[in-house]
Amino acid sequence: MTTACAMLALVTDAFGGRGGIAQYNRDLLGALAGAGAVCSITVLPRHAPDPVATPAGITQHPPRRDRVRYVVAALRAAFAKRADLIFCGHLYMAPLGALIARLTGAKLIVQMHGIEAWPPASHLQRTAVETADLVLCVSRFTRASVLGWAAIAPERLVVLPNTVGSEFAPGDRSALQAAWGLQDKRVLLTVGRMDPRERYKGHEQVIAAIPQLVAAGHDVVYLVVGEGDDLKCLEASAGQAGLADRVLFLGSVDKPRLIDIYRMADLFVMPSTGEGFGIAFLEAMASGTPALGLDVAGARDALADGELGTCVAETGLAGALARALNSPNGDGEVLARAVQARFGRQNFNRGACAAVARIFEPS
Amino acid sequence: MCGLNGIFAYNSAAGSPEESELLATREAMRTRGPDGAGTWWSADRRCGLAHRRLTILDLSDRASQPMMSEDGNLVVAFNGEIYNYPTLRAALEASGIRFRTSSDTEVLLHLYAQHGHEMVHRLRGMFAFAIWDKQRCGLFLARDPCGIKPLYTANDGWTFRFASQVKALLAGGRISRDPEPAGHVGFYLFGSVPDPFTLYRNIRALPAGYTQWVDAAGPREPKQFSNLAAVFAAEGRHHLPAAELPDAVRTAVSDSVRAHLLADVEIGVFLSAGIDSGSLLGLMQQIGQCEFRAITLAFEEFRGTDQDEAPLAALVARQYGAHHIVRRVGEREFLEDLPIILQAMDQPSIDGINAWFVSKAAREAGLKVAISGLGGDELLAGYPSFVDVPRWRRRFGPFAAVPGIGRVARSLLRAFPAAAATRPKALGLLEYADSWSGAYLLRRGLFLPHELNEVMGQDLAREGLRRLKPLHRLAASLAPDPGSDTARVCVLEFSHYMRNQLLRDADWAGMAHGIEIRVPLVDLVLLRALVSAIQTLEPGIGKAALARAPVTPLPEAVVKRAKTGFSVPTGAWMAAASQHGKPSESVRAPKELASRRWSRLVLKGFASPVCEAHAV
Repeated sequence: MTTACAMLALVTDAFGGRGGIAQYNRDLLGALAGAGAVCSITVLPRHAPDPVATPAGITQHPPRRDRVRYVVAALRAAFAKRADLIFCGHLYMAPLGALIARLTGAKLIVQMHGIEAWPPASHLQRTAVETADLVLCVSRFTRASVLGWAAIAPERLVVLPNTVGSEFAPGDRSALQAAWGLQDKRVLLTVGRMDPRERYKGHEQVIAAIPQLVAAGHDVVYLVVGEGDDLKCLEASAGQAGLADRVLFLGSVDKPRLIDIYRMADLFVMPSTGEGFGIAFLEAMASGTPALGLDVAGARDALADGELGTCVAETGLAGALARALNSPNGDGEVLARAVQARFGRQNFNRGACAAVARIFEPS
Repeated sequence: MCGLNGIFAYNSAAGSPEESELLATREAMRTRGPDGAGTWWSADRRCGLAHRRLTILDLSDRASQPMMSEDGNLVVAFNGEIYNYPTLRAALEASGIRFRTSSDTEVLLHLYAQHGHEMVHRLRGMFAFAIWDKQRCGLFLARDPCGIKPLYTANDGWTFRFASQVKALLAGGRISRDPEPAGHVGFYLFGSVPDPFTLYRNIRALPAGYTQWVDAAGPREPKQFSNLAAVFAAEGRHHLPAAELPDAVRTAVSDSVRAHLLADVEIGVFLSAGIDSGSLLGLMQQIGQCEFRAITLAFEEFRGTDQDEAPLAALVARQYGAHHIVRRVGEREFLEDLPIILQAMDQPSIDGINAWFVSKAAREAGLKVAISGLGGDELLAGYPSFVDVPRWRRRFGPFAAVPGIGRVARSLLRAFPAAAATRPKALGLLEYADSWSGAYLLRRGLFLPHELNEVMGQDLAREGLRRLKPLHRLAASLAPDPGSDTARVCVLEFSHYMRNQLLRDADWAGMAHGIEIRVPLVDLVLLRALVSAIQTLEPGIGKAALARAPVTPLPEAVVKRAKTGFSVPTGAWMAAASQHGKPSESVRAPKELASRRWSRLVLKGFASPVCEAHAV
């Protein structure tokens, strides 16, 4: 297998970053460095709010929020270490990545996540993507969307889905519910940002469905994990509906606590219309908790077309929730194994290395 | 002719393919292979292959497909014929390999085991096949250099699917019908959808002369193993003296006809009153084919007129001792068959009606295999394009090279709407004649790029043109430079009109009736043998040499008549059908404009949002 020697990663955030994109970038770069698919990786982030710890083989520059400084730093880094592989962790980076690839003769990888890649890209971004040697997409939907606006050989668009760590594993749901004082309750859970620009996550739809579930005899508590500017609005909405005691906003939580919350829930629900993939679905199911989402966009992939979780139509969410709560919970261990078999770290690492290796295959 | 399909869930995130999908796709190709059917699944059920069989070589069940190698490491599903199979088999047997069948399918397994992907260089014939390589956990696909046999693929990022037909892939129910603007634009530009595009974004043709490898890392970009322009560039430096042309044509075409007669069933011939099929018939008889049937398609409208091909075809059949069957077709039968024609048409085409009816006649006669003269005009410079394209390049090319002149001329000529309406392509001479690709687009174009906005909407037309890059695509097929005017037009005709329209029409129309159409004049070995002759071929000379290829040459009446040509009423029928069923005699339109109307009717038959929005 031919490997790249030096990779320059242009990312919004990775090590020391928060959220799904930073997680994906860490997973990908870590997989490539860990397997020796590339000799060294230089990461150039725009943001890194948390303490930075990078694995062996990866060096991360300090974050540069200023665009001009970022571009200058990227050019200097590319020529200083003569990168032969440029990785753009976001569509926004693609024009800069394409420019550097052209100047240095390096190969170009562009990463596509979710909604940013769905509508037709700007002329500059599209042109950059069309020159890419590889376009990594987190889901089939994102891949299909990019193919809709980019004139590029379809074989260059490879789906490398999000992965989930082995720390997400089933636990003792009853004990956790008892510890939280939620025994005899039916616990619904959503994990995700509450951003006014990202109202597609579907918190409001779940809140709106709760009265119907209660009327049907389900003593429901809805846990909402995450932060964002829309939190206040959602709290007000729950209060106005008289559900303040049933909808609990937990804010941002650390990972051990998050894993416990996943394990405790009876049903993870996220009726989102805008998921590039929906890593929270994976985390929930890997923790042994059934998941329900819409049969829309990248959520289909995380729910494996309904084979792992439940995919429902946008209409009739309350009915689907009632049916899910009426069904006995399946074996969490079986579900967790099925999730790891498809989306586990081993598959992800193998997929990442294979995708990069094929760029260097003789044509 | 057969049909093959398969599903490979290569991405670990994908669920295992469902048997019902594999069968739904296979059964949508039932008419391709009415004699048998089979499926095969890998042990982990991540890959399934399926096949419908038309028995032609080794009629026994031993030769059923998908066929597995003796050691279980390879499985093949194959459509086509390997004409040099006896030679390949002999060489393999000499190296100690034991054969279990007398089919050409088994040769593919042994060749792959010995030579891997390079095996394709040894094959002579028409083929599309898929081989599952158990040891490498991957799938190898290949399609013949001329594109006689089709193969379509679909990749959603998790699962790779393939089949002999676009509609069969759609029948599986798991592939999106999102429209591909390049396919729609291509259809309106050329009258057929240019490879590798289809009407659907998620379905692509494996291009002719390409292989493709798929494994856990996903499908790789198709790799070219044969390039017609390169054949000319590599072997065309020597120009054959004109005096040697007849012998060269006789030897090479005889060799191809002999190779194409390999079968365990009767082979018939589609006989028109032209030179190509008549010469092939003569050579078949000369080679020793004793009893064969020749099918001639004739039209009720022309009965008793000098447009009727039947009498001259009968003369040829008599001369070469063939049992002659004349099948007459009229407008009424055309209109009756039209719904099933459109249903059988795999991708939209403005042609194929003749192929439909002659295949229907062959089926009625109980044939499974028929020889066709398709390709003679492309090979031996028989089309007007061999004169027009170089002439337009010479006359209008220098003017068209002036930036902007085409658009200015077009604007001026719009002042004469009557002329623009009856000869729309004349407006393009000053715009496109500055390149071979432009001049060829003018010659073969149905609509021209600047007309598309009115046909299909501005946004779709612009996006389709951007994705298709028609002039760039045509020019790419001429790299490396074939070396002469005739060679360039030959490559263009072979690579575009013949491949995307004639051969595809022959496939779906023949397939719909379970008829394998063999085309001895479309053969890479034959082309290579005649490259040095084609370089300097003057229009008319090549076809005359073909007429004299049989020891007993074609009757002089046939050669003379071929020069003036025959017309067929199908254009008028199509024009009438696209005018809401008015009788053809009441519809008067130049052929070109009739084709334009017909193209819209055809596209209407293909259910997709874009088609429905823009069809008349």
